[in-house]
Amino acid sequence: MVQYNFKKITVVPTRDDFIDIILSRTQRQTPTVVHKGYAISRIRQFYMRKVKYTQQNFHEKLSTIIEEFPRLDDIHPFYGDLLHVLYNKDHYKLALGQINTARNLIGKISKDYVKLLKYGDSLYRCKSLKVAALGRMCTVIKRVGPSLAYLEQIRQHMARLPSIDPNTRTILICGYPNVGKSSFINKITRADVDVQPYAFTTKSLFVGHTDYKYLRYQVIDTPGILDRPFEDRNIIEMCSITALAHLRAAVLFFLDISGSCGYSIAQQAALFHSIKSLFMNKPLIIVCNKTDLQPLDGISEEDMKLVMEMKSEAMKTVIGQGGDSTNDEEVLLTMSTLTEDGVIAVKNVACERLLNQRVELKMKSKKISDCLNRFHVAMPKPRDQKERPPCIPQAVLEAKAKKEVDQEKRKLERDLENENGGAGVYSASLRKHYVLANDEWKEDIMPEILDGHNVYDFVDPDILERLEELEQEEGLRQDQDEGEDVDMDGTELTPEEQEALAEIRKKKSLLIQQHRIKKSTAESRPTVPRKFDKDKKFTSMRMGRQLSSLGLDPTLAINRARSQSRGRKRERSLDRGNNDGGDAMDLDAEQPNKKLRTLSRSRSRSRSRPPGELVPGEGFKDSAQKVKALKMAKKSVKKRNKDARRGEADRVIPTLKPKHLFSGKRPIGKTSRR
Amino acid sequence: MATRIQFENSCDIGVFSKLTNAYCLVAIGGSENFYSTFEAELADAIPVVKTSIGGTRIIGRLCIGNKNGLLLPHTTTDQELQHLRNSLPDQVVVQRIEERLSALGNCIACNDYVALTHTDLDKETEEMIADVLGVEVFRQTIAGNTLVGSFCAFSNKGGLVHPHTSIEDLDELSTLLQVPLVAGTVNRGSEVIAAGLTVNDWTAFCGSDTTATELSVIESVFKLREAQPTAIVDEMRKSLIDSYV
Repeated sequence: MVQYNFKKITVVPTRDDFIDIILSRTQRQTPTVVHKGYAISRIRQFYMRKVKYTQQNFHEKLSTIIEEFPRLDDIHPFYGDLLHVLYNKDHYKLALGQINTARNLIGKISKDYVKLLKYGDSLYRCKSLKVAALGRMCTVIKRVGPSLAYLEQIRQHMARLPSIDPNTRTILICGYPNVGKSSFINKITRADVDVQPYAFTTKSLFVGHTDYKYLRYQVIDTPGILDRPFEDRNIIEMCSITALAHLRAAVLFFLDISGSCGYSIAQQAALFHSIKSLFMNKPLIIVCNKTDLQPLDGISEEDMKLVMEMKSEAMKTVIGQGGDSTNDEEVLLTMSTLTEDGVIAVKNVACERLLNQRVELKMKSKKISDCLNRFHVAMPKPRDQKERPPCIPQAVLEAKAKKEVDQEKRKLERDLENENGGAGVYSASLRKHYVLANDEWKEDIMPEILDGHNVYDFVDPDILERLEELEQEEGLRQDQDEGEDVDMDGTELTPEEQEALAEIRKKKSLLIQQHRIKKSTAESRPTVPRKFDKDKKFTSMRMGRQLSSLGLDPTLAINRARSQSRGRKRERSLDRGNNDGGDAMDLDAEQPNKKLRTLSRSRSRSRSRPPGELVPGEGFKDSAQKVKALKMAKKSVKKRNKDARRGEADRVIPTLKPKHLFSGKRPIGKTSRR
Repeated sequence: MATRIQFENSCDIGVFSKLTNAYCLVAIGGSENFYSTFEAELADAIPVVKTSIGGTRIIGRLCIGNKNGLLLPHTTTDQELQHLRNSLPDQVVVQRIEERLSALGNCIACNDYVALTHTDLDKETEEMIADVLGVEVFRQTIAGNTLVGSFCAFSNKGGLVHPHTSIEDLDELSTLLQVPLVAGTVNRGSEVIAAGLTVNDWTAFCGSDTTATELSVIESVFKLREAQPTAIVDEMRKSLIDSYV
């Protein structure tokens, strides 16, 4: 849907501002330096660019003006006519037309001068052409100055027009001046229209909004209308007429039956009849206002006749719509805005009749068939005997019943948050409302869960009971044992057994001692090389001896120990290690000679090559050349390495002899060279 | 009573909350405003629990539950599961299920008796729904959409479905669910009903863009505040026609 918002039109500058804006932009955004020494094509290029750029900017600015101002033929006829009434269509179109012409003229000027610039043969000529082009463009703008000023005024006025949506539900209030139209809109909306006890207080349209049956209604207050020929009406009255003519609205015709507005009922009835053609096909309600001064029954016979005449006219519009003609309460209503008597009734009747009319229209439209499903309430057909009652907790029902009585406010998390530093500072505990058997457990630290389990899943819940059971059992046993207390001191042993026991104990203590010695030094002790192992306590020979004393064949064990005692060299393949037929193993096994074994050990490290030694393939003639090359290489990186070590705290002299201090300062001779 | 709220400037509050007759889950937000709106309305009757699911805040779209149980997607972490178990009463069964369509809230819609599900849901999941939530399960679409959980919201008293649901579909669904149904919108014309509305048997929350007309439809069809669903065709009919057409 088209939104009518004239507040977004950009400001139209005055002609002088306009020229300043464009020229300063050209100055700022195109190159400014040119020399006569440049190639002529470059100079031409320079000035052509200026001319074209200026034209482009003019074009842009003028186009925005032309596009942003509404075209009276394209907008809703209500706005078209309103703008015509307020600003005069001809004048408006003329102004926009002039702007359009100016735009075209500027385009033509630019084209001509760019063509001329192609023949410019010096910087001076090119410059003169540019000056002429820009000057002519500015003159064009100066000529449309009055149009610009007029458009700016209109823009300011349009920005203040009320935003009336011509297509929505609208209630229009009209009548003679001073009959209480503005008082009524103030009563039913929050528009706050100025109300004064003189005619033509309201000089333009005013909009307020009110609600009825979930819908929003736009209420328009119009200036008062006088009963005079159409041509004589002033702009203020014409606003009302425009609104009446073009808006599909419920019309409230206000009638001051007390006559305190200064116009008699006869005059008001005359107005009604003269503009009744505007009420056609609209819900019309005649509202008799100011009943606090003069009740409707109290008016004179002729006046009553006039009112009834108007009522019958209004009824015709109802019949014309095809509405129910019997209900005449909805056509003539009385109220008093002073005592607020009947105000709401008038509003409701107006809204209801408007709604009825709109619905009737819409029911005939095609779009209704798309929406029919949304006016349908599907009621369930029973499909089984199952009862499906709602599940509302008792607490809710009680709270609902109690609501009327008293409602103490609960302390919300939001209140806590505000008390404790506000959002972002306060952090509520998530565990606060845990439902646990014991409230003290809430803040317990939970062991982390992994793969769906935590440590508690592996804890027996009745471990304590079992422990107790075990302890009881143990206690029982102890009690039993105490009866038959066995003495282990060895008093009941035979002498042989005692001897064996003593030997075991001795061996045991010896082992413990040895272990302790070993342990105490094991931490910091380096592995002692074999040559410092003077006593050679742990030899394979000794192991062999011991094993044979036990009656075992030591060869396999010894071979294995030897093979493992070798230092880590290459990864040995498994089958070689196991294969007794292998050469290496054979050697070890058959020659337990120490000298041979040491010889077979690999050399630990190669001797270093002197740096100058010649290696084939490096490309040096002899070692002298290589040494020289090495020296050069070192020297080349010396400075770089030095720089790399330099820190920012080191003293530095950037230039030892700055040229400007030393050149050309000779005591005698030429000093011009500086 | 229907309340209009926002979650951190988003009107899709059904995404960030899950309301049932026995508990209410709420996403953890930057401030307590969203939580406190639920708290003020519900905390006297049912637990209102702040939680995340799988580390996200879109809990309303990820889980599904009613007064009997709560189904969580496989993305739920053990910690979250533990937190929910601790926070919810013992009558509510909390169950995590291995379902490929892990946005359970989008794929399933349920009240305390009936559930509608996405047509492609696993057989096991269907059984799980029936067991844990104690409901009859129907595989259905709503106005041609398979995401039944997104395009409808219903309680034990009434339901609101996608605005393009035809009258025949409405009647069929209504008979399945055994509640009155209406096609409508929330959040000023949004058709993603469950994103803009979260409802149980005595209260409803909807996005703050919801218009007065939409709100009154919601209140009537869910029978909040003594309104009856028939009001939609009686008193409100004209207003509805004028605002829709």
